[in-house]
Amino acid sequence: MSQMRTGLLLFSPLLLVLVGAFVIPLILLAPTSFQEYQPGAGIAAGSFTLENYIRIVADDYYREVVVRTLGLGVAVTLACLLLGYPVAYLIVRGNPRWRLALTLLVIFPLMLNLVVRSFGWIVLLTNRGVVNNLLIDLGVIETPLKLMFNLTGVMIGLTHIYLPFMVLMLVAALQNVPRDVESAAATLGSSRLHVFRAVTLPLTAPGIIAGSILVFVLTISALVTPRMLGGPTYQVMATLIYDEYMQLLDWPSGSALSFSLALVTILIIWMSSRMTKRWAGLA
Amino acid sequence: MIEQRPGLSITTIALLVVIFLQIPVIIVVLASFSETSYLTIPPQGWTLKWFEAVFTSSNYLAAIKNSLILAVGATVISLVLGVAASYALFRKMLPGSEALTSLLMSPLIIPSVVIGVALLQYFTLVGLRGGFLVLLIAHVVITVPYIVRSALASLSGIDLSVEEAARCLGANGFTTFRLMTLPLIKPGLVAGALFSFVTSMENVPVTIFLAGPRETTLPILIFTSVEMGVDPSVAAVSTILIIATVAVLFVAERWTGFHRFV
Repeated sequence: MSQMRTGLLLFSPLLLVLVGAFVIPLILLAPTSFQEYQPGAGIAAGSFTLENYIRIVADDYYREVVVRTLGLGVAVTLACLLLGYPVAYLIVRGNPRWRLALTLLVIFPLMLNLVVRSFGWIVLLTNRGVVNNLLIDLGVIETPLKLMFNLTGVMIGLTHIYLPFMVLMLVAALQNVPRDVESAAATLGSSRLHVFRAVTLPLTAPGIIAGSILVFVLTISALVTPRMLGGPTYQVMATLIYDEYMQLLDWPSGSALSFSLALVTILIIWMSSRMTKRWAGLA
Repeated sequence: MIEQRPGLSITTIALLVVIFLQIPVIIVVLASFSETSYLTIPPQGWTLKWFEAVFTSSNYLAAIKNSLILAVGATVISLVLGVAASYALFRKMLPGSEALTSLLMSPLIIPSVVIGVALLQYFTLVGLRGGFLVLLIAHVVITVPYIVRSALASLSGIDLSVEEAARCLGANGFTTFRLMTLPLIKPGLVAGALFSFVTSMENVPVTIFLAGPRETTLPILIFTSVEMGVDPSVAAVSTILIIATVAVLFVAERWTGFHRFV
């Protein structure tokens, strides 16, 4: 039993930190989400209400924000998949001499501070920004296009930020596809497109799904990029939570929204891990 | 045998996407050296005045200092606690190691903003709001999964007979770990520590709820200052971060073949 004692000794410091500063705080969020908020007075003591949860689906404004968040999740995931697949394909199947350089060029933005990357897009997309100036100088447009504080800006920013994750997942998946299988299909007379559709794509499906789930979950929980490129008016769930805690001080509403967001991400990850386990069992 | 190689169109698209990934970086660097406060292409005149503004601003210097202390502190604590816990899991010293591993990784699954508000409410409740210690604990929570992930991955590649041999030759548990196991998992841990450092260094969603005015970190300062509009000194401090990132990535790649661990 001395092994168990050593184990406890090694494990308990981290366990204490995580229970004390992660698990308990999250659990304590639950009671707040069922409490009533009185403007000006704060949380009504001893109250119990489901209003904070009902509002998320029943109130027009909240519903708009939730639908927008989930819609952005789907759109950004699709964009990352479409843009990321060619890059992953080039890294794995292209000239081996380019592989390291391309991989590092994909990792580099990932390692770079998120705030810096979002700031870069602000410089590009703002009213007097690089893109608008360039288009006006070229005579394409006369008045600046609205590229920020709307769907365009948030979509570009989020796609740029989560694309590297998708590429890395797809690279891992493509590396598991034996070259021989593709060659065999080609030898048997399949066209390049047909080889891709019938062989490469199905074999990389687990990677596509894993990458899509990762990007979707990251997108719907993103705070920094939606706030920097969407501004205070174009809200998503994370920015609304931020405002409810920091500006409106409506903690009950904020915690109900937080719980809903966490629940969606946990459910999606749980379902996907069950799915992959089932697939692994079949293989 | 017919080799399947990416065609010209795929290659072109892929290269354009890789360029797209670098665009904001290039723009930020150009803006930081540009004379005008709004960047034009091509830039009209070059200057270092925005960098001078950064290095003479007590706000920026304090934020950079806070960020570095926080990131180094959180990474060191995460390394010590995370490697110890991972080792206990790897050697199956505790029952239910699969559930315990999930617990250690769970801060990655919960959206950061939710962790942020949960901690804000909790620390307010226990009367610990504000202060550097609270931030440090929070950053350990969000960085430790990266350490655990890389530690477990590296440990699983170790041949257990190496440890047994050391034990047979009379080394005790800790000596065996220090002299045999640790050097074997070091490259993986360096990569994990780098991820941990970067995660702490760029965190906004947790930090912004917990940091008082005296604990403002660099990303928080940038995040809040862009609400007032585009300030070229933000571009300058961003360029400094870009150069630091390139340097760290270069050293890490040379040192450990970093791209294998991503």
